[in-house]
Amino acid sequence: MTHAPVLKVENLQTRFKSVQRGKYVHAVDDVSIELYPGEIVGLVGESGCGKSTLGRTIVGLEKASSGRVLLDGVDLSALSGAALRDSRRALQYVFQDPYSCLNDRQTVGEAIDEALIIDGTKSPDERNRRTRELLDQVGLAYAVKDRHTRELSGGQRQRVAIARSLAVNPRVLICDEPVSALDLSIRAQVMNLFLRLQKDLSVACLFIAHDLALVRQAASRVYVMYLGRIVEQGPSQELYDHPSHPYSQMLLASVPEVDPRVEKLRSGPLLMGEVPSPTNPPSGCRFRTRCPLAVDDCARRTPPSHGLAPDHNAACVFAPDLHGGKRSALVHQPA
Amino acid sequence: MKKLNPILARMSKMPKAALITIGLFVALGTFAPWLAPQDPSTQNLLEAGLGPNAAHWLGTDHLGRDTFSRLIIAANTSLVSVGSVLGIAMTIGIAMGTIAGYHRGWVDDLLMRVVDVGLSIPSLIIALAVIGIVGPGYWTMVLALALAWWPMSGRISRAVAVSIMSKPHIEALRVLGASPWRIYFNHLLPGTIGAVMVYATADAGVAALAVATLSFLGLGIQPPTPEWGQMLVDALPYLESDPRQVLLPGLALTAAVIGFNTLGESIALNRIPKPLTRRMLAARRIEVAGWAKEGIDAQ
Repeated sequence: MTHAPVLKVENLQTRFKSVQRGKYVHAVDDVSIELYPGEIVGLVGESGCGKSTLGRTIVGLEKASSGRVLLDGVDLSALSGAALRDSRRALQYVFQDPYSCLNDRQTVGEAIDEALIIDGTKSPDERNRRTRELLDQVGLAYAVKDRHTRELSGGQRQRVAIARSLAVNPRVLICDEPVSALDLSIRAQVMNLFLRLQKDLSVACLFIAHDLALVRQAASRVYVMYLGRIVEQGPSQELYDHPSHPYSQMLLASVPEVDPRVEKLRSGPLLMGEVPSPTNPPSGCRFRTRCPLAVDDCARRTPPSHGLAPDHNAACVFAPDLHGGKRSALVHQPA
Repeated sequence: MKKLNPILARMSKMPKAALITIGLFVALGTFAPWLAPQDPSTQNLLEAGLGPNAAHWLGTDHLGRDTFSRLIIAANTSLVSVGSVLGIAMTIGIAMGTIAGYHRGWVDDLLMRVVDVGLSIPSLIIALAVIGIVGPGYWTMVLALALAWWPMSGRISRAVAVSIMSKPHIEALRVLGASPWRIYFNHLLPGTIGAVMVYATADAGVAALAVATLSFLGLGIQPPTPEWGQMLVDALPYLESDPRQVLLPGLALTAAVIGFNTLGESIALNRIPKPLTRRMLAARRIEVAGWAKEGIDAQ
């Protein structure tokens, strides 16, 4: 990666006021990520680990309590009002639920038109031309523009939502599980659409998902998130082949196998129990309460990030051993 | 009428009766001056207290005025006053509610505490207090009732506005960088008005009753303008000798109130079919199938 990142997130922290007085839910804690132009990056983790909150904070739907979001080197936290809205427009978000992210009262044409107006396209002819182009890009016929969004199927709605995001010429697309609400046959189509658009328009894409197979297929790099922190990151091939954080290992091992004979052979402790409360996160390493390898030291300090291979880091004291295969979270060994 | 048949055919009895009653009420109210067969204010003491006859279909009152005409003109009075009360109340309520729902935080807290205070005082008492201070009269009554009514629509609009604001389509607009102005006027306000109108239908009956109550007490619409509540109080001395004079305006009022309540409930429960929805959907479904050019993605 020689060129500059298009999106740089530095030590981002998002806290919500807890129902318990004076306490906070640490949804995103000290997260730094980078996106380079035109790449697809996966963000995986269990439900409730803060991956959606991270995405929402980046686009400004949640307020960051500290940290910076830099888009093309411009610090968005330093901007406000119309200047912020104009700059942040290059950062778009694709929602998980294609049913509620469009206004039922609008037709497809109106929804896309509105995005174009917001983006400052004044001439109606130009907007019509762009609408036609965008619908074509997402594989919908131009005639759809006169239909109300409520008349469309989930897959069609998601295409419209994608077309609307693309209307403002984004540099970065944050996709929050964009296909998990769609059924399997449509999922593949929309996924292919994503890959094609990303290639054609070279938009950088942060792909938030819990479907590990999907991320492996689509993403060039992967971040693994646990309880508000990034625990491991790396190129997807490398990370899927040599997961070096106990959590990543267990997460990957918990993917069911299609073949029942292979499934039977799957061994080792799979992820048990639930993610601890982000209101009172465990001290030191946050995964230690569920980690089969945890030692006393894990509770005392946050494990440093170990560089294992080019661009591959894991935040675990045993990361080098895990990476080299000398140790595994899947076969329980008393430390 | 033929176009209405498919809609009416799919409704059960109560909503149908309510729809017809309210339709009649609105039609009578709107066209009252042209529909009333005689001048509602012309007195003829020689014909006072007559029962139904050829000249006066529903008889006359104690001053010899034509009851049928007065009932029709009263529908107009009632419709206009209820319409103005709800119109004013909902304008204030929706404005307050959507602002609270849009901003949340301390603006929300402040406005909703004002609404709480308004709601904690019975509406008729607020209206009586205002009328007591300003003095009785048509517009005093309308304003007094509107003042008593807005907190309820404020509360409802706020709830609707909060639910609209939390919907992802508003978040999508924020991500697109839409101005607050655009979000408020193009998305929040139309959505809230649509939803609150449903509640207004159910509320109209109560408002009609309140107008009649105040007029009955002599605090609302003043004679000689015909009004149901006022016709009731005029006829009260003759309750025993000629109950017809009390029963007719009473029945008219009851029909309007029950009609509005039932209609409001039916709309809220989705028992009133939206015209043409089914046929349009069927026709479009065929077309929808052809929209996606799935082949493109199968590369």
